[in-house]
Amino acid sequence: MIAVVPVRSGVLPHGAEETATEAGGRALVIGSGTATAAAELASATRIWLAEAGDYAPGRWASGIATLAAGPLAEEEGPWLLPASPDGRDLAPRLAHVLDLPLLAGAIEVTASGAELARWGSRVVTEIDATGPFVATLLPGSRTPEGDSARAAETTELDWTPGAERDAEVIEVLPPDPRTADLAEAPRILGAGAGLTRGAEPAGTEALALLEQVASALAASVGATRVVTDAGHATYERQIGTTGVVVDPELYVAFGVSGAAQHIGGLGAPTHVVSVNLDPSCPMTAMADLGIVTDATELLRELAARLGDTPAETDEETARAEEAAHG
Amino acid sequence: MAEHAGPAQHTSMATVGERGGITTFDAVVVGAGPAGSAAALELARAGHRVALVERGSFPGAKNVYGGVVYGRVLDELVPEWWEQAPVQRWVTRRQTMMMTPTQSMTVDFRTEAWGRPPYNGATAHRGEFDAWLAGKAEQAGAELLTSTVVTGLLRGVRGEIVGVRTDRPDGDLTAPVVIACDGVNSFLAKEAGMYPDGQVEHTTLGVKETLALPRETIDERFAVRGREGVDIEMVGCTRGIPGGGFLYTNLDSVSIGVVLGLTELGKAGIRPEEIIADLKRHPAIAPLVRGGEITEFSAHLIPEGGYHTMPKLTDDGILVTGDAAAMCLAAGIWLEGVNFAIGSGMYAGRAAAAALSTGDTSAAGLAGYERSLRDTFVLADHKKLARAPELLLGDRVQNRYPAMICDLLEGVFQVTNPEPKPGMRALLRRSAKKHGVRMRDLAKDAVAGLRAYG
Amino acid sequence: MSPPVIVAALRWVDLSPRVDPLTGAVHTGTPTSGLTAADECALEHALRLAEAMDGDCVAVTAGPEAADTVLRRALAAGASSAWRAPLAESALDDGRRAATALAGLVRAHCGEPSYVLCGDHSADRGTGATPGFLAAMLGLPQALGVLHLDWDQGRVVAQRRLDGGRRERLALAPPAVCSVEPANVRLRRAPLPAVLAARHAELGLTGSEPSTPDRVRTVGTHAFRPRTRRVPAPVGENPNARLLALTGALVEREPPRLTYPADANAAADELLAFLRQHGYLT
Ligand SMILES: Cc1cc2nc3c(=O)[nH]c(=O)nc-3n(C[C@H](O)[C@H](O)[C@H](O)COP(=O)(O)OP(=O)(O)OC[C@H]3O[C@@H](n4cnc5c(N)ncnc54)[C@H](O)[C@@H]3O)c2cc1C
Ligand SMILES: Cc1cc2nc3c(=O)[nH]c(=O)nc-3n(C[C@H](O)[C@H](O)[C@H](O)COP(=O)(O)OP(=O)(O)OC[C@H]3O[C@@H](n4cnc5c(N)ncnc54)[C@H](O)[C@@H]3O)c2cc1C
Ligand SMILES: Nc1ncnc2c1ncn2[C@@H]1O[C@H](COP(=O)(O)O)[C@@H](O)[C@H]1O
Repeated sequence: MIAVVPVRSGVLPHGAEETATEAGGRALVIGSGTATAAAELASATRIWLAEAGDYAPGRWASGIATLAAGPLAEEEGPWLLPASPDGRDLAPRLAHVLDLPLLAGAIEVTASGAELARWGSRVVTEIDATGPFVATLLPGSRTPEGDSARAAETTELDWTPGAERDAEVIEVLPPDPRTADLAEAPRILGAGAGLTRGAEPAGTEALALLEQVASALAASVGATRVVTDAGHATYERQIGTTGVVVDPELYVAFGVSGAAQHIGGLGAPTHVVSVNLDPSCPMTAMADLGIVTDATELLRELAARLGDTPAETDEETARAEEAAHG
Repeated sequence: MAEHAGPAQHTSMATVGERGGITTFDAVVVGAGPAGSAAALELARAGHRVALVERGSFPGAKNVYGGVVYGRVLDELVPEWWEQAPVQRWVTRRQTMMMTPTQSMTVDFRTEAWGRPPYNGATAHRGEFDAWLAGKAEQAGAELLTSTVVTGLLRGVRGEIVGVRTDRPDGDLTAPVVIACDGVNSFLAKEAGMYPDGQVEHTTLGVKETLALPRETIDERFAVRGREGVDIEMVGCTRGIPGGGFLYTNLDSVSIGVVLGLTELGKAGIRPEEIIADLKRHPAIAPLVRGGEITEFSAHLIPEGGYHTMPKLTDDGILVTGDAAAMCLAAGIWLEGVNFAIGSGMYAGRAAAAALSTGDTSAAGLAGYERSLRDTFVLADHKKLARAPELLLGDRVQNRYPAMICDLLEGVFQVTNPEPKPGMRALLRRSAKKHGVRMRDLAKDAVAGLRAYG
Repeated sequence: MSPPVIVAALRWVDLSPRVDPLTGAVHTGTPTSGLTAADECALEHALRLAEAMDGDCVAVTAGPEAADTVLRRALAAGASSAWRAPLAESALDDGRRAATALAGLVRAHCGEPSYVLCGDHSADRGTGATPGFLAAMLGLPQALGVLHLDWDQGRVVAQRRLDGGRRERLALAPPAVCSVEPANVRLRRAPLPAVLAARHAELGLTGSEPSTPDRVRTVGTHAFRPRTRRVPAPVGENPNARLLALTGALVEREPPRLTYPADANAAADELLAFLRQHGYLT
């Protein structure tokens, strides 16, 4: 098995270490700044570098096919990519040019098959393959292993891209903390059913308010499945075993009961605060600070205090001023 | 809806046809619940062009109920319906449970007869059942328009209803008859000025959880096999809030829920989920639902006032049916609405078809609707049980009798040796006294009960 | 010259399937099936592009007969024609079979399409691989997982999500394949007369069913459980130290605190004090 790790300007994609670990330490690092990126890839023991420039899935796929027929001919596959945005895009094109089956969205990959998460990660399908294949591994599926002190055996490969047409990259924009991948957020405010079913504002409005408070605290917003299923937050906000696996320093849970499937994706935050009406729910039990109170009311109060004053409070002030003058 | 009125629109409607933003039908049925689909089915069968307008993405998408459909009325609408309807289990066992937080007294009835055609009641998922019935109407020729919300009524020169406005662009639908099947707190009946005031007092909130359990586990715990199912109704499990509970078996899940008086629920400041949680912990219920994984939580209003709170059912160009007409029969040991909805919808469809064929869709022309209702179970049952809701949701039945009966039975069955067994009458008096029930009221309620349910 | 064609590839899928939490068995039904939010966005973008380019929007799907409902939705919303290729779902399809069927439809009925719009991921497979296969088969450039899509001077400018919260802006001159996330636009409301007309519109059906893959097979299905995690071996001088490191015993930690504030005001005081104490707020 060999990992295919697409990098941009020396930055490894999300899930690169897990993918290289799953592939037994063998990795083809392709893109721009491959040497820098490869030096970071602690879980790889055998590395090939293909300095291929800007991301171009069409040309890269046929370029990799050329490598597969040449210097990498000894590698039999499976070809494993992280299911990061770039890996996910490159995989079907690679499967197409190599004419191999694609086992996309795997939580586990072996030389002879994979376990694939389907139906929004509610179901796992076990697939056996009779020959080589291309697969993508969902980040957060496994623990990476490796030793950053150990130097990997590295080979630079000559790179001949294919002749396919690719989109033209205009620019790459830096992260916006509000939409930063939850998985990498150092501070997260979590929305649970208790926040969205409680007092007004409820549902999507409560999430908008949480978003406001989060931006004042330089935090990201996460949610439980109950909340994302109800459509109050998008699925990339779902924390848990079937959502994003996170590892923040600070987690503040608003109306989250702390079901195993949720906690399973929470990592090991240094500080946990649980705001819940139920003093004995698992979330509060594992918290450093448990606040037994109505989550929505607390949220409203926080929004008022942390600057981004809601409109009604402005109105109240205006009314008060009017009263004072009139 | 004055802005929709006016002669210009009314006269132009016949000529404009499907162009110019106005679409014309013979009848518009609003709401593809059981009532609406039955109405549309009858109209389409009679050869009329009928639009069935539903706000959900499919019929039954958001419809909530406990889980039992009583089939008799379907015999007339869809012969041999049991061959095709999406049924989970056939109810062959029915229980009524009187409970206190620690006690319960159950009347348990079962019969093989209900497990054979023509069957009595079936548990079914509303998403499947409503879609099936609406599919029947579609097959008969009705035009089903989903994801479309009716937002207003169109009126003609004399104030008669001549169609509806929907939330879609170019969304007016004109028709000589509109049938309001839009469920509890009917927006249409209100717009048409047919609703009496004070509906909230007669509205209860139904909340329900669906718990997944393996099919074999359900068979074992409820002592049924094959497609047999159980229907349990409960009184005394709602923390003093007027209402009751229910527990029904589906194929591989159970539905558990409570029905709660809105006003008192508001006053009590308790969340309905907590009451369901209580119920799931009750010693008589816990062993039945243990280990069930919650797959669905839903809530919906129920019109419970019965006969005396129904709106006007007929007006010029409009008929009101089902929950929209408060035809849900929710008198304690009965929780029936779907059958009344189907019945009233069916008769409304027939009456509308008859009126269309004579060309008189005024209230007088549509009067056949109310006549059919009075001649059949739809209004007959309601009239008979008119006083039941009041009695059933009253303080004594809700709060005192369950406890009294349970204590009475505890007294009867408890072995008191070496003391001699107390007499029944003494036990009854003791238990009644403990729960603040005066014998006079007990007798009065017994008579009222006999009258109400007789 | 014929007007430009913008294709919307729409997948008919159950939006709220019942998944047995114990066995992972999935029960799907026709009534609950339709378009995901992502596919609705794809259709809306296709309609907008058709307007901007003065072209036609053509809807295509690969699926069973019941999948026609999504084509009727597209027609009601403004698509000028709609085609379906027969395709029975297979858990083994990696998106390649769907893409093969769709590419066949596109070649047969859409000439040289200017753009092919897809949803970012489906509700069942959910891998977003189909659009990639489709681009490869049609030999077109791709922009997948697009959040913003604008028509700007003869080309599409797309912003897509990268990892780590970064975004990428791409220019896509026609022809190209684009998959969009369910964000920023909503599918327009179809006018009522159009909905009625679409209920009875003729739909095109062509193509033969692609063969099922033979190099892979399903050996089982179960409810999702995360993989067991391997905890890295603890570091420490001796077994005792390693044990302490593994269990976290003796690590200094503030005792957890439970508070019952009187009101929201007091609760906010508690929370903000905690955040200040630990340096999250200054
Ligand atoms: C296979 C599988 C996978 C799953 N994967 C995930 C996953 O990845 N992520 C995930 O999150 N879940 C997942 N779940 C669902 C999980 O089991 C729980 O159902 C879910 O996490 C519960 O979400 P919750 O805490 O928001 O809701 P609930 O469990 O309903 O809890 C709500 C909490 O809010 C409190 N509360 C109520 N009102 C208020 C108020 N006014 N103020 C303050 N507190 C209040 C309540 O006391 C309660 O503790 C999965 C389930 C299954 C079966
Ligand atoms: C918790 C609970 C348990 C119950 N248990 C049972 C039971 O076990 N057995 C039983 O027989 N009955 C039961 N009932 C009662 C039963 O659900 C109702 O009586 C029945 O659904 C009434 O049918 P209907 O067609 O009149 O209205 P509904 O089923 O409410 O249908 C109304 C339809 O109209 C649509 N609609 C509403 N407004 C508009 C609009 N403006 N534009 C377009 N469409 C609109 C709605 O989307 C809906 O599809 C229960 C009810 C509840 C809440
Ligand atoms: N059978 C299909 N018919 C039409 N479009 C499809 C089909 N399968 C996938 N697609 C498109 O490809 C997108 C991504 O799907 P998937 O690759 O299954 O995650 C969907 O949002 C659709 O736009």
